[in-house]
Amino acid sequence: MGKIGPYTQKVIEYFKHPKNMGRMKNPDGLGKVGNPVCLLPKQNIHINNSLRTIDKITLAERVLSSDGRYNKVNKATKRNYSGQILTIKNKLGRVQLTPDHLILAIKLPKGDKFLRTKNKKQLTPAWYHAEDLKKGDISLYPILKEKDNLNCIAIDIPKPKWDFKSKELPNKIPLNSDLLRLFGYFLSEGHVQDKPCRTFISFALNINEEEIVKDINSISQSLFNLEPRIKRLPKRKTIRVDLYSARLARFFKQLFGNGAENKTTPDFIMNLPSRKQTALIYGLWKGDGYINIMRSGARAGFVTISHTLAHQLKILLLRQKIVPSIYIDKKRKSHGVNHKESYRIHVGQRDSLIKLCSILGVKYIPRSYSSVDSWFDKNFCYTPITQIQKSNYEGKIFNLEVFDSHSFTSEAFCLHNCGDVMWLYIKVGKNKKGEEFIKDIKFETFGCVAAIATSSVITDLAKGKTLNQALKIDREEIVKSLGGLPIIKIHCSVLAASALSEAIYDYLKKKKREIPERLEKAHQRIEEEKKEINQRYKEWIKLEEKMHKK
Amino acid sequence: MTKKIYLDYAATTPVDPRVVKEMIPYFTEKFGNTMSIHSFGQEAKQALEESREVVAGLMGAKSSEIIFTGSATESNNLALKGIALARRSHGGGGHIIISSIEHPCVMESAKWLETQGFEITRLPVDKYGLIDPEEVKKAIKKETILVSIIHASNEIGTIQPIEEIGKICRERGVYFHTDAAQSFGKIPIDVNKMKIDLLTASSHKMYGPKGVACLFVREGTKIEPLLHGGGHEAGLRSSTVNVGAIVGFAEACKIAKKEMGKETERLTKLRDKLIKGILAKIPDSYLNGHPQKRLPNNVNFWFEFVEGESMVIQLDLMGIAASTGSACSSAKLEPSHVLLAIGLKPEEAHGSLRLSLGRWITEKDINYVLKVLPGIIKKLRRISPFKGRRY
Repeated sequence: MGKIGPYTQKVIEYFKHPKNMGRMKNPDGLGKVGNPVCLLPKQNIHINNSLRTIDKITLAERVLSSDGRYNKVNKATKRNYSGQILTIKNKLGRVQLTPDHLILAIKLPKGDKFLRTKNKKQLTPAWYHAEDLKKGDISLYPILKEKDNLNCIAIDIPKPKWDFKSKELPNKIPLNSDLLRLFGYFLSEGHVQDKPCRTFISFALNINEEEIVKDINSISQSLFNLEPRIKRLPKRKTIRVDLYSARLARFFKQLFGNGAENKTTPDFIMNLPSRKQTALIYGLWKGDGYINIMRSGARAGFVTISHTLAHQLKILLLRQKIVPSIYIDKKRKSHGVNHKESYRIHVGQRDSLIKLCSILGVKYIPRSYSSVDSWFDKNFCYTPITQIQKSNYEGKIFNLEVFDSHSFTSEAFCLHNCGDVMWLYIKVGKNKKGEEFIKDIKFETFGCVAAIATSSVITDLAKGKTLNQALKIDREEIVKSLGGLPIIKIHCSVLAASALSEAIYDYLKKKKREIPERLEKAHQRIEEEKKEINQRYKEWIKLEEKMHKK
Repeated sequence: MTKKIYLDYAATTPVDPRVVKEMIPYFTEKFGNTMSIHSFGQEAKQALEESREVVAGLMGAKSSEIIFTGSATESNNLALKGIALARRSHGGGGHIIISSIEHPCVMESAKWLETQGFEITRLPVDKYGLIDPEEVKKAIKKETILVSIIHASNEIGTIQPIEEIGKICRERGVYFHTDAAQSFGKIPIDVNKMKIDLLTASSHKMYGPKGVACLFVREGTKIEPLLHGGGHEAGLRSSTVNVGAIVGFAEACKIAKKEMGKETERLTKLRDKLIKGILAKIPDSYLNGHPQKRLPNNVNFWFEFVEGESMVIQLDLMGIAASTGSACSSAKLEPSHVLLAIGLKPEEAHGSLRLSLGRWITEKDINYVLKVLPGIIKKLRRISPFKGRRY
């Protein structure tokens, strides 16, 4: 007999003949974990790759999910956490998360690093707990797949009543590469003056950027029928190009935000076909970007102080199959000038640079071959994890719930409450050395095959062990004793381990004994989860009843 | 080795040996391409047209109204997207009504159309899974182009009042599609009497081969193809025609026509015996779906305090093949949307079990199930912490 369903022989054996099953009268300790409710997938998301910003996310905002689409945030929750957190870095950014968090990644088999490029097709991504990942393992970043090819945009800013003299603007502007280039220039060099009677768009350019001046001039004349005013200020080494149209200026402000820190790219541009977006990248790079292909390590970069824009550019570049790296330059003062914290997007990989140069129209003949450590397929950018740091954290951590599943965490994260309930009873005795040990143990479980098998095996593992030894039984040991579990059932083993630690907690509490810090924390985490699930379940039932009353 | 009883006929059925016998020549001797004009091609073409006639006959349609496809999923996709796209190219509005207990292929097609700018209404169902025709009437508006309601639920077997819904749609001039993959060949269907404009039927649910299904499209219905190419199937589904499988499908229809009456009577009896037996022998068990208005071969229960996947694996160990709507057995870890739609709570949907009977199920098999099942439920309840108290 081979596997039954997705399970190993051992799992089935434990399922068929569960040991230590049933209820115990007057147990010394009882651990209850799990919830019979299956909730919709719960997500832990690290938008913008940091814990700091996740708290700013509000409902109905949309975040990029692992399916490459923007999905709505249904719910944002927070809870207190104290314990270890991991900081995982790759080229694309930095993520801070709890060790039990699930990440879509590829674990490299032992051996040569080349495996990841040579045999990359054989490596299949799966969801891993953050703590199981190592430096060099491959993390996956979804490529934005939303597509909406807009051909025209309308300037939906009404003309003020008292405005008699401003020039008529066309109602609809074609969303072509000229306009996108202008948007690019504006995002990097432009700003909007918005004062009564003095509302206009202004570009501040370097004196050497005559080429851009010319381009803005011709685009503005052809698209808006506006002649820009060009002021050359040789003393300040700048050229100012001003477009005098209040309506247009307000329109730009509405689209892109004002102030260099707050610049963003609107959704409709992010969702354009990637072919069209090259014009925007061109404009951006001509403005705030640099490219140096003469030096030995050829590179290109883009600097902005807008956090959002930096990450949007990252998404745009990924769609062009260009691997960017993001660096943060700290706030500093140089030559008496205050520089705000800025984000530098760096493109250095050979293939990526070739693609970028072709967008920018720069000739680039690569001189050296460099190793490739990142690659693309249709859905993801694969890049290695460059650093993992452990640190302690105390404070709030945030969770998002995303409509229609996915994101950086899996469907698998919902496994913590996929509908299994375990109750574990223990009786405690004293051995010859006077240590307390688990004399008897019994379980009751509502759940699938894996849940029953894991609860059965943990009773086997724990029986006869001292309390300290029993507390050391972890997920891995359980999975190993069962000869493996399907990936989507791993949470069952976590549940079993929690049930045991809860039972021991209960025992110590009843005896009014000191409780180890680790145990106390684990208990609090479980309690919080229970509370949260119950709360959500109540909401769900309410909703359901309302639906059926209709 | 223990006895093997297949009680998952709603998932798929074995091919009837009589059907296999009919099919074989079309793989070896009469293998021609229906588009060829030589005698090989014409021989295949003739078989195709004869098969079309047979399949059409079973639902009271004209043979020219049958489009053969590769699967019921494809048929449903073609029905929904084809109608929607045809209407869009004529510049019309876009509102589509479906039920909340459709098969995933209809659900997902509708969801996709939603992203394409069509408006979707999902009608609620009552605790038996029945749709109120009045609700359909209320939901239809000026922009409505299509109503698509599953004929008989694949999970709970409830049969919808298709005739009444068809009448409403005809009065309001809205196309009416029904997914009859589960019911075709099991209960009588007449597309004219029921006023159906599009109907999906599948071969592998009625003892025919897999990989073939059909879509009935009423003459004059405006529909766009999804597959473009050599213009097979009146231009609606270009692909080299799978003649062997279609011949099998037709043979399965012939057999169904001949034996439907007797078979329905026999299965209904077995079904009711199974339902009564379970209700009598297993406390805290509840029937899902309507007690009478259900497919003659469908039994769906939920048992308190136990979990579906555990039940299925236990039954499998005892040689019985069944299926569940539990989340733990699905890839997405979400319980069945059908069971949630009829008002079951998630934990109740977890404990559901579907047993579907078929041609080779005998009374002896049912007796065996009734002997084994109570023990399994009892055993699992003994493990469960909830026994004896409500949660």
